[in-house]
This record gives sequence, structure tokens and C-alpha cells, in this order.
Amino acid sequence: MTVNEIVDELRASRPRASDALRLQVLAVASRPAAPRPSLLDRFRGPRRLVLALPVAAGLAVAAAIAVGVTRPEPAGREAAAPATTVERLAGTSSEAYAGPSADASAGAMKAAPAPTTGRAQRYSATLALGVDDTDALSDATQSALGIVRDLGGFVVSARYATGTEGTSSLTLRVPSARAADAVARLSTLGTILAQDVQIQDLQEARASARAGEVQAQLAAVTVQLGQAETAAERARLTARRAELRAQLQQLRASRAATTVEARTATIQLELRTEEGAAVPLPASRIDRALDRALDVLAWEAVVVLAFAVAAAPLALVVAAVWATRRTRRRLEDERLLSS
Amino acid sequence: MTLEQPLETAPPRTLADAAEAHLDEVYGYLLYLTRDRETAEDLTGSTFEKALRLWGRFDPARGTARTWLLGIARTTALDWFRSESRRRRREEAAARPERVDEAFVEGLSPELEEALETLSAGEREVLALRIVLELDGDATARVLGISPTAVSTRLSRALKRLEERVNEG
Repeated sequence: MTVNEIVDELRASRPRASDALRLQVLAVASRPAAPRPSLLDRFRGPRRLVLALPVAAGLAVAAAIAVGVTRPEPAGREAAAPATTVERLAGTSSEAYAGPSADASAGAMKAAPAPTTGRAQRYSATLALGVDDTDALSDATQSALGIVRDLGGFVVSARYATGTEGTSSLTLRVPSARAADAVARLSTLGTILAQDVQIQDLQEARASARAGEVQAQLAAVTVQLGQAETAAERARLTARRAELRAQLQQLRASRAATTVEARTATIQLELRTEEGAAVPLPASRIDRALDRALDVLAWEAVVVLAFAVAAAPLALVVAAVWATRRTRRRLEDERLLSS
Repeated sequence: MTLEQPLETAPPRTLADAAEAHLDEVYGYLLYLTRDRETAEDLTGSTFEKALRLWGRFDPARGTARTWLLGIARTTALDWFRSESRRRRREEAAARPERVDEAFVEGLSPELEEALETLSAGEREVLALRIVLELDGDATARVLGISPTAVSTRLSRALKRLEERVNEG
């Protein structure tokens, strides 16, 4: 008997259900069937995850967008201004200084505070500016030197370096009276990245008063010395006079140094070309809303990740148990069917 | 050997329609699998009871009513095999002989009938689906939960063994 003959015989003898079975089955099949399950019923057990995951992801994105759109703007974020600080130390009150934004740096910097006229003050400013490329860096450095000379100042130190990024660091001294003007003009050489202005009172008045006191004491001692009767008293007053003279000399030297220091202001100027040095233009409202939505999404992702890390061992155990049971069942089926 | 496929008609609207169309196939498959008419009839009844409960989930887009019913029949049969296996283990102690029909399919020659009985349930199953019921490879693979290639391998192995046994006799 060939395979074809076997196949033909098997097909010719195709089993047919008995009439009794037919009646029984048709009676069963004619009963009203269970209603079609709802969508949730279709996704039972682990299958619900298939439904839950996209729903959860959709909710997370929707929540992030809602928060991004509805959260109020943080104060002062309207224009991304570079870091700007102004401090007045030793006596004068601290004052807020509206720092310039990238697109209006020159105009805003004209408002840089000047030292108080008639007082000895230490004025120091640090200015970081971004420029486009090394050519612009060279031009800006030359211009800075020109401005300083123009204002009657001088360069204390200079460092100019170019490579993948270019930097130029200048320490400049200008007359204190022209310090604010210098800062304003220097700030036009690039985009302001950061600025810091410090004004410190040098207390010259107290030093002068002290010098006056010492001088008065010296005069009194000189008079007493002229009237001294004993050799011992003359020796004591002579020593005291020498001591007061030394003190007065020291005070005068100190006052002279303060006057010199107050006469010039120090400006630390740093010019940079590196990428990203430029302050970004203020973002639009939509961009800011998107940024906030992305922030929320990032936090949601962190929470989900933390949860996943915590739940991963349990999920692995469950998956292993499920896979083992499935494999055992399949092997058992194979064994049953092989007999 | 040619395995023609009967054209699948439009999907049945009710389970009664499906039962009318595919009862013989379900019964024939279960008969080949169990080699016992009474058992096959019982399991056929159970299959349609289950099908009634699950009819709401039947999706014609995912497969024909025939493969869906044969899948249920297979699960029902495997459950029966499991319970039979447990029962047999219990009864082995009492040395009760297993009941098997002398001729489980009418119209077969005694040699072929005898040869079929020597095959395993798994081999008879693939013969029933591919040869007797003329399911194509993909449909058979869906019913058995294996790949079409594995179906093809099992079928040729079963036919070869059947041929050898028939000719040995």
C-alpha cells in the first residue's frame, strides 16, 4: 500500500458524527450564546497590561502638557538675563541692579553704578562677554585696550589664548570716576554672560580723624616735654613723642595708599568664544510651556524608572514562574500525545 | 499526494451554523485523537459546550470557525488525556485493562486500522487534521500551536510510519 493509497482510504472513510450526537450538539449550539464581552473583559489578566500601558503613557503625556500650559511663569524668567550682581559693601545699602538681557546689553549696562563722589571707595567689576569667533575675540580685545587707554587707564595683565575655544582675560585699571563709563563701554564688545560690580567704602574719614587725634597728642607731649623738670620725666616724654610720631607716619602712609587705591577701579574682563557662550534668546511662550512639560515628563520617567527598578525582581520571578508553568504544560501535552 | 482545500465559506453568524458546518470535523478529529467513539462523542459535546460559552470572543478576523472549534476540541481532549492519565495511574494498581475500540473508524481496512492504532496520539492528530479534515499547514499549525514547518515534519513522519506498519502487516 502506497502513501497515496493510504491518504485516499483515510479520506474516503472520513468519520461522521452520529445523528444522536448531531442532535445533542445542535441543541447545545442553539442555546443563546453568552453576550459579546466588553473591551475590558477581552483584556483579562496580563493582557490588561497591553491596554493599561498605552493608557498610562497617554495620561502621563496629557498631565505633563496640562502642567506645562497651566503652571504660572516663574518670576523673572520672562527674559533669560545673564547673572548680574552689584554689591555695595561697608556702610552703603545693597541695591538691586537690573541686569541687561542679551539683546539689550549695551543700553542696560549704561546703568552700571558709579562710585560715590567725595568718598574713597574700592571699585571692582568682573565682566564676562561672549563673542562669535576668534576674529571677533581679537577685535574685542583690541577695542577693550583702546577703551581703557581712552579713559586714562592701563592694563595690569592680559592673557589671550586661541584654540578650539578662544579666551582673552584682561585685568584693567581705570580712574574710579570713569569706572561706570568703562564698564558700560566694555559691555558693548560682546554678549554679556555674567557681570559682578563691587563697591567698598575704604573708611578714609576714620583714618583721617585718627591721624588728627595722634597729631593733637603729639603737640601736647611736645609742650609737656618743654616744661619737664626732671631727667626721668623728659626721658619718658621723649619716648612717648617718638612713639606718636611713628604712629602718625603710619597713618599718613595708610591714608596715602587708600587714596591711591580709591583713585583707580579694577575691571576684570573675560572674553570667550566657546559654543554656547552666547546667552540664548528669550524663549517663546510655547517653548517655555514645552520645556515645563518636558520637565514634568522627565520627572514622571524618573518615578516610573524607580518603580520599575523596585518591581523588576518581582516581575522577573512572576515571569519565570509563568514561563516554567507554560513549558511544563507544553511538555506534559507532548508526553500525553506521544503515547 | 494532493491535499485540496475546501473553500472556507462566509463566517457563520451563530454557533448553530458553525456546529452544522463543522461537527463532523470536530468529531473526526477527536475520534482520531482518542481512538474511542464514545469518548470522541463526549468530548465533541464538551467542545461545543465550551464553544457556546466562548462564542462571544470568536473573532473571524483572527481565524476561521473551523480552526477555532478544533482548537477548543484539542484543549478539551488534552484535559481528558490528563485526567485519563491520572485515572490510569490509579487503576494500574487494580490491573484494569484499558478500553479501546476494536475499529474506531468505520470503513477502514483492518491493516490500516491496526497500523493507525500503533501510532501515537500526536501522529494521529496531525493525520486527522491534514489528511482526513484537509486543513492547510497554517490552519493545522494554529490548532496545534506549532510552526507550519513542524506540522509538515510531523505529517511526513506519521505517514512514513503508517506506510511501514501497513506494509509490515
